[in-house]
Amino acid sequence: MGTVTKAEKAQKGGAIRRYLERNPQTKFIAPAMIAMYALSVIPTIFLVIISLTNYRLGWDFSRMKFVGLDNYIRLFSGADADFWHSVWISLLFMVVATAIEMALGFMLAMLLNSSEFKLKPLVIGILIIPLAMTPSIAAQMWKLMFNSEYGILNYYLQLFFNVKVTWLSADMAFWSVLIVDIWQYTPFVTLILYAGLRSMPTDPYESAAIDGASRFQTLIHITIPMMRKLIFLALLFRAIDSLRLFDTVFTLTQGGPGNATEFLSMHIYRLANAQNGLLGRAAAVAMVLLVIVTVISRFLIKQQRKED
Amino acid sequence: MNRKTKKIVKSILKGILLFVICFLIIFPFLWMIMVSLRDRVDIFNPGDWFVTPTLKNYIQIIEVNGIFDYFINSIIVSVATTLISLLIGGFAAYGFARYNWKKREDRAFFALSQKFLPGMAVVIPYFMMAAFFNLLDTRILLIICYTTFNIPFTIWMMRGFIEDLPRELEEAAFVDGCTRMQVLYKIILPLVTPGLVATAIFCVINSWNEFVFANFLTTISAKTVPTSVMMYLSVSGVQWGEMAATGVLAVLPVLIFAICVQKHMIRGLTFGAVKG
Repeated sequence: MGTVTKAEKAQKGGAIRRYLERNPQTKFIAPAMIAMYALSVIPTIFLVIISLTNYRLGWDFSRMKFVGLDNYIRLFSGADADFWHSVWISLLFMVVATAIEMALGFMLAMLLNSSEFKLKPLVIGILIIPLAMTPSIAAQMWKLMFNSEYGILNYYLQLFFNVKVTWLSADMAFWSVLIVDIWQYTPFVTLILYAGLRSMPTDPYESAAIDGASRFQTLIHITIPMMRKLIFLALLFRAIDSLRLFDTVFTLTQGGPGNATEFLSMHIYRLANAQNGLLGRAAAVAMVLLVIVTVISRFLIKQQRKED
Repeated sequence: MNRKTKKIVKSILKGILLFVICFLIIFPFLWMIMVSLRDRVDIFNPGDWFVTPTLKNYIQIIEVNGIFDYFINSIIVSVATTLISLLIGGFAAYGFARYNWKKREDRAFFALSQKFLPGMAVVIPYFMMAAFFNLLDTRILLIICYTTFNIPFTIWMMRGFIEDLPRELEEAAFVDGCTRMQVLYKIILPLVTPGLVATAIFCVINSWNEFVFANFLTTISAKTVPTSVMMYLSVSGVQWGEMAATGVLAVLPVLIFAICVQKHMIRGLTFGAVKG
């Protein structure tokens, strides 16, 4: 009797059970996969729907009307000049910030790796400080230091060089944001690449030294190729994080003066905030940001995963 | 100049360079501490290094601004989201570490891509859905939102830690007749506890510092520490001293945590991809 019911049960839940038997990992990863899909795919679908409407903040859903691709047409036809400005400075910021952070980070990692000294753990500890500091709070401190009247940077610039820089003016704001980003995330690149340099085998260097390779040649032909995966990893994290940068800009410049530092995330914010409340149009810009981030991260992940 | 003196000069130059770099990196942090201990007047004279320190700013933010409410919110949100993520993500990490199936790496990289979801892009649908479910300005909403980056983070971190364990341990337990759950609970769990603690600390730090969701999905009752800096911007100017004091209180626990997990820092920064 018992065996019969068991067999019947097995028949009933047969498909699911057989699937679970063939894929035993499912019961472990299913909760996480469901949670991640629910929290990313559903909002994305929702975002697409909103971006096709004229919805505004505070409206009842009954007032919402589908406007087709109007929001996108407005963006790409050039009617919204601020949008192209945002795309341009976001991409520029991504390229410049990532390039400088990678270069400085790599040099600092090489410097750290070139000699052994007692205080090294202290240096590593100091490198961690900017990474652990809450970005919005760190940006506020920079705002104080950048202040043209009573900021410490201008105090010493005036004392030693007799120059005064209005750091957060329309001309300089972009570079000020860049400085904060470089300060905060160069240690990130350094820590990763330093870990890579430390774990390098010594044999290739020995044979290179025997062959009489110069230090520059060793760097180009041995160090960089061997660290390819790590370099792409650092590149991936920095490129995406600088592209979706928000906290720092929001606290430091609010996208201003004018729209000098209105990166894509800030542009979305300005369209969607309480004063404008143009959620439909903001959603269209958000879709563009999402697509740019997805394309770039896909490309870099693919490069990173590629075997040599 | 012979080779030896050249070497000494070189190492001295390197030392100076490193010192300057370290000073530049640590300076904003030091300046924040100094500003937090300064009187309002002294903040406007950045040239005076030696001023009488005062705890006025700290008393002000505790008694007048009620900064502890923000801290309580931050603590509850970060701890709750971390526990949920460790539970859900930890199980998934075991699946990824111990089973091999065709789409495994695709699934893992789907998880990684969640980390790159731009907050500003998804905050609009989150806002509207939260409004629909009446969840705006609640801690629960933030806890749910923060799992979007904490679950994938936990998966990648814990997968690495579990893969570091030899499979033979589990196989021996299976031979002894343990079920998979018993093995997980009795053998894997005790062995990965250090990794679990490190992962938990990184989850707490990430949630603690998060700004986009906290700023847009909360207004009064669920506000967290990173958004508190906005409250010091008033018409009469910014209350720098109070802001710096808040910053010090907010950053110190994170720094202490970060120093605790220094050994796993590189692993944590890279989503477990680099086993530094």
